[in-house]
Amino acid sequence: MKKCQPTSVVYHRGNVLPDPPEHDRKHSMLEIGAAAPAIDGIEFSRPTLLAFFETDCPACQLTLPYLNALQAAVEEKAVVAAISQDSDCRTETLAKALPIEIPIHIDHRLTASRAYDPLATPTLFLVDRRQRIAARSTGFDKTELNRIARRLCDLAGVPVTAPAAPHDGNPQSKPGCTSRHLEPESGAADPDPVDVHAQRGQRAGRAVLPDSEDPYEYCYEHGFADPLPVVPPTVERVQRMLAASGLPPREIIARIPPNFGAATVEKIAANAVMAGCKPEMMRVLVPLTRAMCDERLDIHGVQGTTHFAAPLVIVNGPVRGQLGFASGSNVFSNVARANSTLGRAAQLMLRNLGGAIPGEIDMSTLGNPGKFSYVIAENEEAGPWAPLCVDFGIDPRRSALTLYCCEPPRGVSEHTARSGAVLLRAFCPVLANLWSRRVCRAPEALVVIGPEHAATLKRSGFSKDDVIDYLYENTGIPAAEYDDDGGEGSKMTQHYEECVIRSARCYRKFKGPESIRVVVAGGPAGKFSAVLGSWQTGKRGSQMVSYPIDDE
Amino acid sequence: MSTILVNPLDERVRPKANPAPRLDTLEGKRLALLDISKPGGAVFFDRLETLLTERYGVASILRITKPTFAKPAPDEVLAKIRAAQVHAAVEALAD
Repeated sequence: MKKCQPTSVVYHRGNVLPDPPEHDRKHSMLEIGAAAPAIDGIEFSRPTLLAFFETDCPACQLTLPYLNALQAAVEEKAVVAAISQDSDCRTETLAKALPIEIPIHIDHRLTASRAYDPLATPTLFLVDRRQRIAARSTGFDKTELNRIARRLCDLAGVPVTAPAAPHDGNPQSKPGCTSRHLEPESGAADPDPVDVHAQRGQRAGRAVLPDSEDPYEYCYEHGFADPLPVVPPTVERVQRMLAASGLPPREIIARIPPNFGAATVEKIAANAVMAGCKPEMMRVLVPLTRAMCDERLDIHGVQGTTHFAAPLVIVNGPVRGQLGFASGSNVFSNVARANSTLGRAAQLMLRNLGGAIPGEIDMSTLGNPGKFSYVIAENEEAGPWAPLCVDFGIDPRRSALTLYCCEPPRGVSEHTARSGAVLLRAFCPVLANLWSRRVCRAPEALVVIGPEHAATLKRSGFSKDDVIDYLYENTGIPAAEYDDDGGEGSKMTQHYEECVIRSARCYRKFKGPESIRVVVAGGPAGKFSAVLGSWQTGKRGSQMVSYPIDDE
Repeated sequence: MSTILVNPLDERVRPKANPAPRLDTLEGKRLALLDISKPGGAVFFDRLETLLTERYGVASILRITKPTFAKPAPDEVLAKIRAAQVHAAVEALAD
């Protein structure tokens, strides 16, 4: 398979690749205002958007379905056409798989590609009625795609549409691949087409059990489940889930790493049945599946780590009441069907479709009880601050879920503090011990504040930012603990930030206040809270993601 | 009445990948050592490099490190190994 390159690198790489025939080293991709060369079969009597693509380019496979929607929006007032740089066979295979519903021109001898000279695919050229280039864009980028769509709508005189919505399961951007006409001649046979971005999968297989077979034992023996019994995923039960989802059974919502098994709506439904979910949970499971496979979360790494990490789901908004999510007493445990079954469905999918079988892909040293189920809802009614999803830009009136890959909760007890500042002092030593005590800057924390503690903080006038700032500024490791004993974190002090906390010279535990997130959850009685430590963080690890849930 | 179940698993049949052909000798070969970037990797690879060159006569060694152990090796890292046209690569970690 052709290797993709970041578009930012393509230009530089062009200088080290052997020259393709008939092509000058100097790139001459058509500029804005340049005359658009003719392409057989394409008239430019209407505003026309040309999309140069390759069948095995993931960024192209992300882009093309949006162009179907764009063509539908502009109707007959404009033309959206795909220019394939590959063979009829490969183009036809991809066109069926995605599908591609716009006209496709196959650029057999790469004549059009050489004339327009895109650096990479996908490249979009918007051609106006005067047959001039009005706009162009390279690679997959939702902002750019919507900008081009807006220009096309303006030229066509139709209402503006933005086909690429945030939170639709696709990344914000993805680098493209070197355009075929700039590739060195390899002489190698055409690779098989890949379907990693196909949007339709196969229907799930069926197993017909004779009366003598116990379906519960069958599920266990055939590796359908974790070691606890599951509800057998009968055709009738799965059908009820599918009906509630309103989605086609073959639609692929995401591919779950590291095995990249296709989470079709039908597979999600079958796992949800096994977990004991009610059919209406499908409206949470679909965005949850997308969120779990968001590249920022890096579930790929989490599935294979020896660390404790498991994805915790935090639910916000009206869906909590509608589907019965618990946010009060026992929020981390066996209190509500919604919490327990949603988390179990997620874990079954990670195992059954992603391949995280314990002892095989999942080599966690000690594991995490959250790998049976790990779902809480925020107790927004007891919280004096905006809910967690608002920190990620989601409207507080909407339902949402947030994912955080973390270890099990560490308890914080403080029963006698009368002020917010004294109360928060009890959190600092627990935060200081996250990951490994003398490791600073890398760990992140989710602080789950119980309602009684939240009330104390509210009485003291603490905003959420005040809480976070206090915890950031007052959590450090005394420099005196850093002997030259070779312990974890002890050789990294040159990267740490020095500070003084209660007259002691310390290294600050966290890189910044943004390393700490706060949520309110738990029951009305008991002055307890919890701290949940992260796995690897930032762009080199797992980042929290928050996705809206469609409200009824 | 028989029960019909919907298969909840990834049903793709994966062809078994064959391991790359083994080298007859390390003498005069070019090797890549891919460090996944765990903290002790350099210690392990330093020792391995010494053994490979001094004891087994390996001609040259490309040392390369993944940007993070938490994610698969990016294309750039694999491209560097391919560009070096090594005879074999060793991926390892030490924590």
